[in-house]
Amino acid sequence: MTEADKLALLKDLLLTDERAYAESIHSKIKALEEVINEQKRLSQKVDPIIDERLDEFIEEIPETLGPTITEALAEQIKNSKDQVVEALYPIMGKMIKKYISQEINLLTERINQQLEDSFSANSWKRKFRSWFGGVKEEELLLSELAKISKVEQVLVIEKNSGMLIGQYAKAETIDKDMVSGMLTAIKSFVEDAFNEQSQNLELIEYELYHIHIQSFVSFYIAVAISGEYNLTFKNKIQDIIFNFTDNFLNLFDDLSQIKEEVITNELEFYFSTNEKSL
Amino acid sequence: MKKASKKIILLGHFGVGKSSLIRQFVENTFTSDYKVTIGVHILKKEVEVAPDENVSLIIWDLEGYDDIKKTRASYLLGTHGFIYVFDVTRPATFENLKNDIDYLTNQYAKTPLKIVGNKADLVTKTYLKENANMFGVQPNFFTSAKTGTKVDELFTTLAKELVK
Repeated sequence: MTEADKLALLKDLLLTDERAYAESIHSKIKALEEVINEQKRLSQKVDPIIDERLDEFIEEIPETLGPTITEALAEQIKNSKDQVVEALYPIMGKMIKKYISQEINLLTERINQQLEDSFSANSWKRKFRSWFGGVKEEELLLSELAKISKVEQVLVIEKNSGMLIGQYAKAETIDKDMVSGMLTAIKSFVEDAFNEQSQNLELIEYELYHIHIQSFVSFYIAVAISGEYNLTFKNKIQDIIFNFTDNFLNLFDDLSQIKEEVITNELEFYFSTNEKSL
Repeated sequence: MKKASKKIILLGHFGVGKSSLIRQFVENTFTSDYKVTIGVHILKKEVEVAPDENVSLIIWDLEGYDDIKKTRASYLLGTHGFIYVFDVTRPATFENLKNDIDYLTNQYAKTPLKIVGNKADLVTKTYLKENANMFGVQPNFFTSAKTGTKVDELFTTLAKELVK
């Protein structure tokens, strides 16, 4: 073997791998370049067609997909009744309540009209205060009622387990976890006793206190009220509860994931800002 | 500090000592006066399950039933753990033990369950060992609400299992 042969052999041994590697990289880059150029060329031709088809498709959606979407929605509602009811409950409840409340107001107005001529000592006192104070008699009447009703504590409780999800209280009271459990037990007992699964216990009354209970699908809200509990007050409490669930609780899929302090702050916001109107 | 709340329910026949076990655990007291639980009684105790981690146990003490199927189902909803108690001295309270446990494990397959033979202070350890097969199912604990034996251990073990 000559010197030149030896050199060629050495060159081969040293450089063959690198050369093959460099070639493979070169071919890969070329293939990529082709793909990119091809795509650019293709997209120039294809994009307008796709855009046109897309516009047509959007226009046709109501006609072509409408029945399928309706069917899918119907199926979805059928399969997830609880979630749908949960979402609609506050809205529907509010609508129905507003309508009934308006009707009752109309009726009250008509009754008031008829009673206008009646003379009781209290009504004369109120009339005098109204005349001298320049405040409407109806407003005085409302403020008299408002003075005697007060929200003491609000508890948000998981319906099945009776576990406390969150609470707000003006003053520290007895153990709220135990109260939540006992309220749930009482509620379950009463609802079971009358064998009416679709009916809910709505009010617990004891002398000067009332516990207003608003049931939803997976949780319920109990509001402890001291003093007078009348229809006007109940109506306002329900409005606050529906606002709270609609604007806050319904934003979460899993209530157990919300921190207790966050619920307390929200409850405080909804109930204390509305306190004056209660 | 991490803090979770868990609901646990005590089940079993009349007079097996469910309320006494809870009283011993929560208040460290025992009385031999027997008071029947009517409906349900709820108590609470915080348990340390790990350094810097507590669990608040909301314990539902249900009235005793001879037939577990008669227990009010709505009370059992959303339960995180069960404790089934029987009286080691009264065969009537454990003769259906296997059926009752099967019923619970079928109905609430994912809910941890502890089987407890209570009033262990009234028999000897040898008696319990020799008659281990008598109960039909191997109990997890033999407790005594009177002396407090294994009571804390029972609740703490379950609490630790619930936060796993």
